[in-house]
Amino acid sequence: MNEQESGRYVYCMIKSQGEKKSFGNIGFGGEEVYTLEYKDFAPVVSSAVVKKYEVSDEEVELHRKVVEQVMKEHSVLPVAYGMVFKNKKLLLVAMSAGYKAMKKAMSEVDNRVELGVKVFLPKEAASWDGKEKCKSDFMEALRKKAARSKELKLFSDRLIMNASFLVDRNKIDGFSGEVEQLGNKYPDLKIHYSGPWPPYNFVDIQILSRRKGGFR
Amino acid sequence: MFIIDDLLLRQVGVTIPGLNLIWTLEQIRDFAYRELYNPEKIKNSIKENRLLFELGEITMDEYERTNAKLLQELKLAERGAEMNLSVRTDIMGAR
Repeated sequence: MNEQESGRYVYCMIKSQGEKKSFGNIGFGGEEVYTLEYKDFAPVVSSAVVKKYEVSDEEVELHRKVVEQVMKEHSVLPVAYGMVFKNKKLLLVAMSAGYKAMKKAMSEVDNRVELGVKVFLPKEAASWDGKEKCKSDFMEALRKKAARSKELKLFSDRLIMNASFLVDRNKIDGFSGEVEQLGNKYPDLKIHYSGPWPPYNFVDIQILSRRKGGFR
Repeated sequence: MFIIDDLLLRQVGVTIPGLNLIWTLEQIRDFAYRELYNPEKIKNSIKENRLLFELGEITMDEYERTNAKLLQELKLAERGAEMNLSVRTDIMGAR
């Protein structure tokens, strides 16, 4: 693919590496995932066709896997799925517009990860008492172990709580221990504990995603 | 061409029985469409389906079948939302 002409699909941002860093041919279409440089940031990109990226399991999964690979070694600012820029120049223009916000976001999430906790009612317990009490038990205890927290939408009638927590990398074990204790306290409930994720719910930089679908 | 618009007549306090019924039926139809093709509701179902699978309540097979069906519905719903179903097309083509 012609490097000058092709679009750039952006997976996430990391701190500048001082030089191009490659993560291997793990991008869309088997393209190389590598870093560009903008001031003290490095967008993680691959060459890509400018098109609307369909929301399918495989493609979202690929985006997710790339970001997870990157976050093994770096603090990341996640970028929404489907963000593709016509060329490198447009990407750098967008970065310059969002620079301040990115700087602030990075200071917030540096060395931290997102952990997700969902509390789910068992199948047969539609009218389970004490939902509120249970939710506040979970939130109170887990907030103490996290730098920040965010309650998310209850997308199912069986969900009592759906929340994400921003946790220091070196405090993940303590957080997990707390989740386990809460699980023991409520043995009837199903607990879905997931992560570590890139901090999707704690970074919201509009400059890169003002338009639906992320076309530029 | 002069087109009698029931909404316009409604505003000046005139209703024509036939049009009135059509208007009511359209409201019901639109409501049904919005319920059936509500992208937000379908997205919720997609997430719920995923969670049920991850919690081991449904098999991979069940998950995949339901997910494919929901994604199809979501596509239709988003297309429907873009088209704005509540706009009545004038059959004389002079809207």
